[in-house]
Amino acid sequence: MKRLFTTVLMFALSVCMVWAQNEKYTQAMADGIKALNSIDRANPDAKTLQDIANRFERIAVAEPKEWLPKYYAAYSNVILGFVGSSLNEKDGYLDKANALLKDAEALVGKPNDELEILKAYQSQIHLAADPMNRWQADGEKFAGFLASAKSINAENPRIYYLEGSSLFFTPEEYGGGKKVAKPLLEKAKEKFTAFKPETAIHPDWGKMETEWMLSQTN
Amino acid sequence: MKLFYCLLMLIPTAALAQKSIQGKVTDKKGNALPGANVFLKGTYDGGTTGADGIFSFQTSQKDTGTLAASYVGYEVFEAKIGLKENVSDLSIKLEELANELNTVVITAGAFEASDDKRMAMLKPLDIVTTAGAAADITGAMQFLPGAQRVGEQEGLFVRGGSGQETKVVIDGMIVQNPFFSSLPDVQSRGRFNPFMFKGTSFSTGGYSAQYGQALSSVLLLNTTDKVSNNGLGISLNLANAGLNYDYATQNQSVSAVVYYGNLRPLFKLVKQNVEWLHEPEFKGSSLTYRLKPTKNGVLKVYGMYSDSDLSMNSRDPSSESGKMNLVLRNANAFTTSTYSDSWKDGLWTLNSGFSYSRNKDKMTFDGVNFDRFDERTQARVVLTRLLTGNNTILFGGEAHAINLHNGVNGQLYHLKDRYAAAFVESEIYITRELAGRIGVRSEYSSVIGRANIAPRLSFAYKTGRYSQISVAAGQFYQNPDYKYLYRNKELKFERADHLIINYQIIKNQRTFRVETFYKNYGQLVREFTGQKYDADPYRFPWGATNNGGDGYARGLDFFWRDQKSIKNLDYWVTYSFVDSKRLFQQFAQSATPTFISNHNVSLITKKWFEKAKTNLSMTYAFTRGRPYYNPNNDQFLKDRTPAVHNVSIQASKLQSIKGNLVIFYATVDNILNTKNVFTYRYTPDGKTRYAVGPQSYRSFFVGMQIMLSRKATVDKNDF
Repeated sequence: MKRLFTTVLMFALSVCMVWAQNEKYTQAMADGIKALNSIDRANPDAKTLQDIANRFERIAVAEPKEWLPKYYAAYSNVILGFVGSSLNEKDGYLDKANALLKDAEALVGKPNDELEILKAYQSQIHLAADPMNRWQADGEKFAGFLASAKSINAENPRIYYLEGSSLFFTPEEYGGGKKVAKPLLEKAKEKFTAFKPETAIHPDWGKMETEWMLSQTN
Repeated sequence: MKLFYCLLMLIPTAALAQKSIQGKVTDKKGNALPGANVFLKGTYDGGTTGADGIFSFQTSQKDTGTLAASYVGYEVFEAKIGLKENVSDLSIKLEELANELNTVVITAGAFEASDDKRMAMLKPLDIVTTAGAAADITGAMQFLPGAQRVGEQEGLFVRGGSGQETKVVIDGMIVQNPFFSSLPDVQSRGRFNPFMFKGTSFSTGGYSAQYGQALSSVLLLNTTDKVSNNGLGISLNLANAGLNYDYATQNQSVSAVVYYGNLRPLFKLVKQNVEWLHEPEFKGSSLTYRLKPTKNGVLKVYGMYSDSDLSMNSRDPSSESGKMNLVLRNANAFTTSTYSDSWKDGLWTLNSGFSYSRNKDKMTFDGVNFDRFDERTQARVVLTRLLTGNNTILFGGEAHAINLHNGVNGQLYHLKDRYAAAFVESEIYITRELAGRIGVRSEYSSVIGRANIAPRLSFAYKTGRYSQISVAAGQFYQNPDYKYLYRNKELKFERADHLIINYQIIKNQRTFRVETFYKNYGQLVREFTGQKYDADPYRFPWGATNNGGDGYARGLDFFWRDQKSIKNLDYWVTYSFVDSKRLFQQFAQSATPTFISNHNVSLITKKWFEKAKTNLSMTYAFTRGRPYYNPNNDQFLKDRTPAVHNVSIQASKLQSIKGNLVIFYATVDNILNTKNVFTYRYTPDGKTRYAVGPQSYRSFFVGMQIMLSRKATVDKNDF
């Protein structure tokens, strides 16, 4: 009896530990995401972003089986790749994002739309760092990643948000512009309304930006 | 109950006192690294360093932990620390990872235009936006240090080498006829469109063992892997009209090009120094197919056909009328297929190719037949193995079958050559600052029944974060010009030995580069006619020949490019100096050949006007006078032509018309209408001298490129 009790106790304890660990993980992730969301999108602060990227990376190291911390660390580095002050610095962040994405892919082990989308986003920011010389190679990559995301889950709104934003920032001379971006952004908005992330800590960005861009197209 | 135990579990941790950990993260030299991530491994506890490299954070871990620090571009630091009490004043020094800025690259003799490398001094776009280059690849390369301009001949003249001493290589395959068929005293354009290529590497000497049969230089062109623009393009200009169509799916793409050109309208507008009987008329087409059969594999099949038709009266003082009637009909086909792949994360890389080219010139001089025909079939395989520490070793081989027919004064000569080569080369990083490339190439040519072994060596040492010096040396062999082999198959390979020293500094979009070289020529073909020197460049060598010639070329060149100082202005300056003498061909004594100009200077500027979406480019080129043969001067090749000056401008404007991208361009070449002279020739009696100059002096050209891209409008299928 005593033995049974001990076993039960041990079992309960271990469940508790896992549960506590999970709780701690979810909480830390949620905190990080909250911090990320509270960043000023129009003028992101590199220092704050770096701090957030570091937080996710720490979680990633502590939770080697979770892909989401790597995902968010990569996402933060992609944004850093946009705010970096020199081409070298930008490329440093973007390379880092790529490495994290590769790790995340290995953890997921099967094609994942969110990872494909983030890869597309990375290519887009990489292109933006040196458009004259990169539009061709990165443009191909961008389209390729989005196409594969579409084949996995065509309902993901971020696919259309990125497509729309790419056109939004492309000069009219090259076939872009606000006008041509509008239908895609509208489609993204529609998909965002229907979209529900798997859990509270799964990717759920892009809605705000879509709405902002849409407001600019009128 | 569960909750109780859980609370129980949580209490001790919460109850534990927090300890603080504080310190500083720097690089090896003690410079603060802001933004580094410092944390206790396995926990969420950590912090980010500030501008001064200082971090501090709290943890509830006890006893010991592993402190880790990571920073973009640096190796991860890890160390065990005790956590019994607060930790402060930790000093963490991070080691930099190998990257493009801190790792040396072998650069002596190489000038790259590429998208892949951030350090590249030229980008592919630079080729088409350079005024005076006429959107021609070799046209743009002529302005690079080490190259010089020889107006009346095509080809790349590099560091005292003739145009024949440079080979054009596409995806590893030698291009037999890179230029449109040449005419007396008229420079021909290259056959290939610059947009076909993703990268260009122009070697000014000391190049890799992977390439051979070029005494001076190789121009390496790498075709693009994929097209992204589905759609139709139209090009229209004063000389030709063309259509191109691209279609791409996930793993495959096809590009097709057709064009028709006729220089009649242009020549009506621009005064010609040549008497045309039939202005050049040409048509051509090409088809490219690309397939990605595996993750890293790329198959490319390219085929092109072009023909041209023209007739002119060229100046010939040796004939009674003073003219010679020339008719040329050319038909050229070139196909190349390459397959490249890599396995095991790039551990093994394969590059292979097969190519066939065929060229036919139906040519008559005053009705006498001078037909030419050549074909070349070649195959090539290169395997590269990545070793530890980024070191690589590659080995490969190539085999060519070449057939030539040449009509001379109605008599037909034949030549067959079977050529094979094998090579091995290794790139070794001794440290991050010091790297070397060691290679050896061996060749066999059946026409002369001889083999050679050519060692190649280069080293590079990083002298600072942005600067480095490199050295390259090697031996280079080339078959004697086929025109000599028709009559004498006992000749040996011609040889050149190169030594190059280079210093460069690339910082903040500014590049400075200086290179000095010494080239020794040996076993050059000499011809003995027992008669006076004959300056006719088109004569057939009927005299006795041997390999008794030699020579040298030495000099230095200099390059400065600045894309930073003035916004949207990009300019570069090159200066090349060469001093060279040779004893070869019919020379009775050592002299500077006619194709050598001692001083070449060029200034290229480009300015982008954002609002007008217009790029303006201006080029100034100076070529010091070259030697010419004066039969009345006892001193051989002592006379010099006047210097050649050329100022050209180009404007290109981007415009969107109904959602399609249109590029308008206009260029004016030789805007000052300088009456340049390239060389002088004499009548057979030596009494009258006449000048050979450009086809036209001041000339202009306008055109447009329309891209009817599917991307330009959002298709219904996108939804």
